Amino acid sequence: MQKSLAAPTGTAIRNPIQALARWRDEFKEIFSARVRERQLGFRYTWYLGALTLGTFSIQLITGLLLMLYYHPSIPQGYADMKDLHFVVSSGVFLRNLHRWSAHAMVFLVFAHMAKVFYRGAYRPPRELNWVVGVCLLLLTLLASYTGYLLPWDQLSYWGTTVGSSIISSTPFIGEKLRFILLGGHTVNANALLRFYVLHVVILPLAVILLVAIHLWRLHKDGGMYVEHEKNVEKR
Amino acid sequence: MNPQNVRGLIGWVRRVFFGDPARRFAWVSLLLTLSLAVAPTKDFFRQSRQYQRQYSKVIERRPDARALRGRMVSGIHQIWLPDLGILDRCTTCHLGIAEPTLADASVPQPFRAHPPIPHDAEKWGCVVCHRGQGPATEVAEAHETTVAWEQPILPVHFIQASCGTCHLDDLPQAPQLDQGRQLLARFDCTGCHKIAGIDRPAMLGPDLTDIGTKVSREWLYKWLKEPRTIADANGNVTVDGIDFGEPRMPTFRLSDSELQDLSAYLSTRNAHPIRPYHFDPRIVASLSKRQDVADQGEARFRQMFCSTCHSLAVTRAGETSLIGGDIGPELTKIGSKVNPDWLAAWLRNPQEYLPHSQMPRYEWSDADLYEVTRYMETKLTDPDLLADVPKLGSPTKTEIEAGQRLFVDKGCASCHVTEGLSPQEDFGPDLSAIGSRNISQLDFGPAKVQPTLIAYLKSKISNPLSVNPSGRMPQYHLDQASLDAVTTALLSLTGPPSTRGMEKLIVARQNPEFHPAGEFGKLYERYKCYACHKFNGFGGTLAPDLSYEGSRATRQWLLQFMENPQTLRPTLVLRMPQFNMPERDAAVFADYFETAMQSPAVDATLDRKQFTPTMAAAGKQLYEKKYQCQACHTIGSAGGYVGPSLGNAGNWLTPGWIEAWLRNPQALVPGTIEPRQAFTADEIQALTAYLLTLKQSGPANGAAAAPSARGTK
Repeated sequence: MQKSLAAPTGTAIRNPIQALARWRDEFKEIFSARVRERQLGFRYTWYLGALTLGTFSIQLITGLLLMLYYHPSIPQGYADMKDLHFVVSSGVFLRNLHRWSAHAMVFLVFAHMAKVFYRGAYRPPRELNWVVGVCLLLLTLLASYTGYLLPWDQLSYWGTTVGSSIISSTPFIGEKLRFILLGGHTVNANALLRFYVLHVVILPLAVILLVAIHLWRLHKDGGMYVEHEKNVEKR
Repeated sequence: MNPQNVRGLIGWVRRVFFGDPARRFAWVSLLLTLSLAVAPTKDFFRQSRQYQRQYSKVIERRPDARALRGRMVSGIHQIWLPDLGILDRCTTCHLGIAEPTLADASVPQPFRAHPPIPHDAEKWGCVVCHRGQGPATEVAEAHETTVAWEQPILPVHFIQASCGTCHLDDLPQAPQLDQGRQLLARFDCTGCHKIAGIDRPAMLGPDLTDIGTKVSREWLYKWLKEPRTIADANGNVTVDGIDFGEPRMPTFRLSDSELQDLSAYLSTRNAHPIRPYHFDPRIVASLSKRQDVADQGEARFRQMFCSTCHSLAVTRAGETSLIGGDIGPELTKIGSKVNPDWLAAWLRNPQEYLPHSQMPRYEWSDADLYEVTRYMETKLTDPDLLADVPKLGSPTKTEIEAGQRLFVDKGCASCHVTEGLSPQEDFGPDLSAIGSRNISQLDFGPAKVQPTLIAYLKSKISNPLSVNPSGRMPQYHLDQASLDAVTTALLSLTGPPSTRGMEKLIVARQNPEFHPAGEFGKLYERYKCYACHKFNGFGGTLAPDLSYEGSRATRQWLLQFMENPQTLRPTLVLRMPQFNMPERDAAVFADYFETAMQSPAVDATLDRKQFTPTMAAAGKQLYEKKYQCQACHTIGSAGGYVGPSLGNAGNWLTPGWIEAWLRNPQALVPGTIEPRQAFTADEIQALTAYLLTLKQSGPANGAAAAPSARGTK
């Protein structure tokens, strides 16, 4: 690893070039200093984590473009869907890409978790990363759920009505939770606005933050988990 | 090909395409690029672009291609009306919609110009009338029912429904809609359903509190089973449809035991017994000896023009038809229906039995009443009417109780009142938004019809059981035109306006009430003038509007006419009944008309004396030669029958009215067919002078003509 430009650890970096170089190194260090070829093979991970990250970046890009056309208001939200369908160039493609990639992301997150679980990759020293991963799973589901309301059609309206009713059956605080989520007692303009803000600001930022931690821990914990460490050492 | 070769081939393909990481990467990239190219390609070949290219070709062949090309703009077109919440992109493909030169049928759709309508498409958009999905730019999405859009284009045959979403008032340009609304009101649909724009009247069906004093249990049984009684020799109902003859009572599907229970319950509704009328015994003695007393009664029945409101079935050449008006019920078999004591009491004072009845209260002499009731009891009968009714006997307590329950359960109480049971509203579903119902909200049941709202409505109305075998809606009998009209009226009920802009467009229904007080008010209610005539926008449409009658007719003529109405239009079948009005009543009417029913457009100060014989002579020339008024109006026996007879115009009309009428007939009677001519002031003066000279010697002429001239419709 090249560390010539890097400042000694523990000292403040004042030189911007040095700072950039440190950045570059940090990116390089997503992977451990020593990476074994087997760790990068398809067999052990099926690349599920990387694919999840890929779908998430598709979500970010298409989501940003969709935000150019969407107003979180009633009934304009639905009219914007119609505009995307009928008028915006490749609008159908954009929307469908966002939607299918969201489905794929949920599927991949589950698959990733199952793979990690059944391979026992959650065991120490990776237990913290497992916890971060579970949080990411919840955030993915929440992002998917909040996005469901935004088209403001019958399906999304009733889907959200059912979903929020399920939330309200939480013991003791159910009704309060539902009220906070919807910004009222029914699925209406307030709920649409809250779901929009959750979907485009709060949840993506949280996911980005946790993904950063996830990758940082990955690096710190010795990279991708591979079985039979002894065999790997032999090669 | 043997398996080894196949395996070899597969191996070769794998080597060539996926042999090393670089090739793999190349092929995957190529596949991805191609799949990503699908989206812009689809975008480029979208339907609207094809139509726009086609349009360019079509207009190239037109003589005014240059101008058309100049106005053609490619890309997405839209009509945006933020107030109405309308965003229509229909003009993206319907490019020639506002090009008057593209109106002919040789222009292929979707490029033809829109036919002229009272509204400007640019100002209103398309979907406000045609429905469908405005923002769509694909044919199927715009026109048809799709997963995301359930409101298809409204077929042109029912397009008047869209007029009715804003025009809640009558709209002469939309006759099918108006007819449908009239039918909804006539069939008392509001008895069970809530229908926006049609109010529940004070009386839907007759009050049945005392029905037991009027008809027998057997008759009730028959009526409840099948209210339509005009049948041919085979028992098929011949007089059908709604124009005439269909009783307003629909056919309920009742079992024999239900009929027994209901008839038992109703026949015991007789809280206020009828006091038999005691005719003057001398008149009865002298009349009852005569053989032709019923014939005399028939003559009187005709002279009094009962047929203006009531019809009778007449069979000519094997074909039965009804002759007469439809304001009151058809009376062909009335003698087999009602109790004679009830009939005499009813004719003397209908409102005593039924306070909301529209029947006028006639002034009867004992002789007239005796003759007319004898006629109705002996001639207007059918001995076989109750032939198929089983032996019922006297009602038992269980039957009566069960009947009362049925009266509520079957919805009778929605239209009829009886003592102790108040009318129930909202027995059937609310129809205020039936016209915008989505297909997924309709239950077609076992009906084998197309999955559209129109097919559903038609199926439900023509046979309610077709979509819901356990439904309670009774059976109505409509011909095709009426069915379409009712469907149109129902389609117009799209619920409350969705935007503030739409709200502003609503043309509310005018519901003026005119019930004056005082002496005139009493007589007005007694003779039920408003059943046929209109007063200040309130009343019937059968007879002339009397809002300006004081300006139109002279007092002398009014007095004569009301004592002995003679027709001004000899071709009409339906005429003013003869009320046998005393002179005092006629004077009250004349006074009131003279004072209150005046038009501001008529100069009441105009004096007959200022019209000279010279003017009249010039007027005669104009009448006969220049304007040929005799084409439509009769004087004496010569002339046309389109307009009223002017033979007695000098006695009938006031000079101010004639003068104002000649200036602008539509200002006095909106919608009159009299053409508005561009008369000069001199011509108006001359014509007025001539018409004022037209006088018939006396009222005797008309009176003699009235009873004999009976037409058929």
